[in-house]
Amino acid sequence: MNNKILPVIKREFLTRVKTKGFIIGTAIFPILMFLLLLVPILLSTLKSEKQQHFTVIDLTGRVYVPLVKNLADTTKKGLPVFLLKLLDVASPEQLIEAKVALSAEINDKKIEGYLFIPKTVLENNVSEPTKDVEFYARNVTNFQMNRNLENALTSAIRTLRLQDSGLDPVTINRLIRGINLKTFKVSAGGEQEDRGFTFGLTYFLVMILYMMLIIYGAMITRSVVEEKNTRVVELVVAAVKPFQLMTGKIFGVGAVGLLQFLIWSVTILVLSLYRLQIGQMFGASMADLTGLPSLSLAVVAFFILFFLLGFLFFATMFAAVGAMVNSDQEAQQVQMPLIMFLVVPMMIMIYIIGNPDSTAAIILSMIPFFSPIIMFMRISVLMPPAWEIGLAVLILILSIIGMIWLTGKIYRVGILMYGKRPTLPELVKWIRYS
Amino acid sequence: MNALTVINISKAFGHFYAVKELSLEILPGKIYGLLGPNGAGKTTTIRMIMGIILPDQGEVRIFDQPNSIAVLEQVGYLPEERGLYRKMKVDEVMQFFGELKGMKKKELSEKVLYWLNRMELTEWRKKKIEDLSRGMQQKLQFIITILNKPRLLILDEPFTGLDPINTNLLKDIILELKDQGTTVIFSTHLMEQVEKLCDAICLINKGQKVLAGNLHDVKKQYGRNRIQLQYSGDAAFLSDTSLIAHYDDYGNYVEIRLQDQVSSQQLLQRALEHAEVYRFEIVEPSLNEIFIETVKNQ
Repeated sequence: MNNKILPVIKREFLTRVKTKGFIIGTAIFPILMFLLLLVPILLSTLKSEKQQHFTVIDLTGRVYVPLVKNLADTTKKGLPVFLLKLLDVASPEQLIEAKVALSAEINDKKIEGYLFIPKTVLENNVSEPTKDVEFYARNVTNFQMNRNLENALTSAIRTLRLQDSGLDPVTINRLIRGINLKTFKVSAGGEQEDRGFTFGLTYFLVMILYMMLIIYGAMITRSVVEEKNTRVVELVVAAVKPFQLMTGKIFGVGAVGLLQFLIWSVTILVLSLYRLQIGQMFGASMADLTGLPSLSLAVVAFFILFFLLGFLFFATMFAAVGAMVNSDQEAQQVQMPLIMFLVVPMMIMIYIIGNPDSTAAIILSMIPFFSPIIMFMRISVLMPPAWEIGLAVLILILSIIGMIWLTGKIYRVGILMYGKRPTLPELVKWIRYS
Repeated sequence: MNALTVINISKAFGHFYAVKELSLEILPGKIYGLLGPNGAGKTTTIRMIMGIILPDQGEVRIFDQPNSIAVLEQVGYLPEERGLYRKMKVDEVMQFFGELKGMKKKELSEKVLYWLNRMELTEWRKKKIEDLSRGMQQKLQFIITILNKPRLLILDEPFTGLDPINTNLLKDIILELKDQGTTVIFSTHLMEQVEKLCDAICLINKGQKVLAGNLHDVKKQYGRNRIQLQYSGDAAFLSDTSLIAHYDDYGNYVEIRLQDQVSSQQLLQRALEHAEVYRFEIVEPSLNEIFIETVKNQ
């Protein structure tokens, strides 16, 4: 039987691997990874470009000067980023006029925006409503800038308030300084400071696993449908049994996906091992580079393992889908429930990553429809005990065997049927019939 | 030993009986025609012979063995609905099918080149299937079926889509294969080809065998009551309905169908009484007519 499956595997593999699509797709990933590695590095060395003009209306009369001192950011060329101008306002009527005029200036792009500091920010009246500074601008979504202004204002105003109360700002600031939670990921390999990139990397890897399962699963369906549509299946089935054709197809397509996966995994590993050297090539300092996520060999190995198991499990079902339909459009409809099984883990990813050893996570990581993705999520965040992983793998393998048996029957009947899509009772008949 | 023996096979799909207790015996080295109207059960029968579907009852024996995978390697099957992988190249497709049939690399490459040449497709060797015309694809499908020199060849509508030149080419190749000892079964609607090629035929209708045997025998069975007659003189004898069931007068000659049980000699004597007979020929009916008549009478 083996020498019948081999030509099928060979054909499925070679016809895909030799295409431009595969070569480009496989190459894009390492390039993408490389860029993703660079981005955090580059961001940390990034400085502002432009100078921004702001007008300040300061009804307290005292915030402006310290504010200017606090906004001492410089551009790449060493010029001050924030250019502030003070506007005097004597009466409420003048205030209204001024606001109108300033709005016009904003729309004419003469200034970026203006700040309005009410008198109440420095009044010590507890019963007064919120003491907010107002910021009017054309662009209010530059969170970086907003934060800069906010910090500068807070610092200036706080210092003034403290001084007004007779307290020494320097001492007080030291005493009330907040605490930053510095996270360190502990694993068998030691400790590693984490700057939020672990989440990003996990998300990225899970995304890839999810996409690969869908893309390669859909490839199987398309292949089956093409063989039906062109009727080449009739010629093939004269020489091999349908079951051999199905398994050959699954292994052939799986081999393509596996090859891509391996190329990518090696790329990730290499980038991970040499991340420090690469980062330094781009001028980042060692301080910037600590906290870059690294990948353990174990995670990469499980990445590949769960792709394989997940693919084998879903590929059989994708093949059955192809056998039931007669066109790519129909296939997309029938594929939906299958794809849902892959989407659900993605939707609850935040929960799983946050609670990787909760009961819900454990149970879900055992159900074969969800386990490839969910178990991998758990592994990349918090390595579960070996027996849990073993159990999930065992369940998956048994499910794969069962699914091959079931879908083999559907495939066998379906590939030679060109009529209407079978209803559920008809599908059962197909299974019994085989 | 028969090349193919089919013993009493039946196949039902739900309540619909596609094939009912069909039996066939096909001698080796002969060309056998499997005829029948659309939906008669020919393709189902062939699929059961090939083991693609299993009969509800009955047995199929190829070269006196059950139709297992091993035996089926000696059978070449060209299905009625057929196609090829559109994006693959001609030689790649041929290689794929050759490998599926277990051919060795060297023999396969030789055969590929030989048949491409024979079928006048050599320049298309490196082209994609989708670049070929329909007729070329049909020829290619045929080559694929015979690549591994099967002992038994089953062709379902092999002539569809072929122009007269290619039809002739295919006919010649089938005869060559027969000379080399291949047994050929082909199913078709083109009675012309059957008349030219077949040694024996089987007519299937509504899943059952209605007519079978040596081609000449079958025609003889139907053949006794058609006469072509050229005469001059009194045409009165033509109106004798006790002898003549139907006639077509073409001016120069008349085509006559005798009543049942009436012998041609009776008509000759009657004609000679009043007219001069220049030509009196007992004509074999065309297979087309036999086909239509048999099917209509069922």
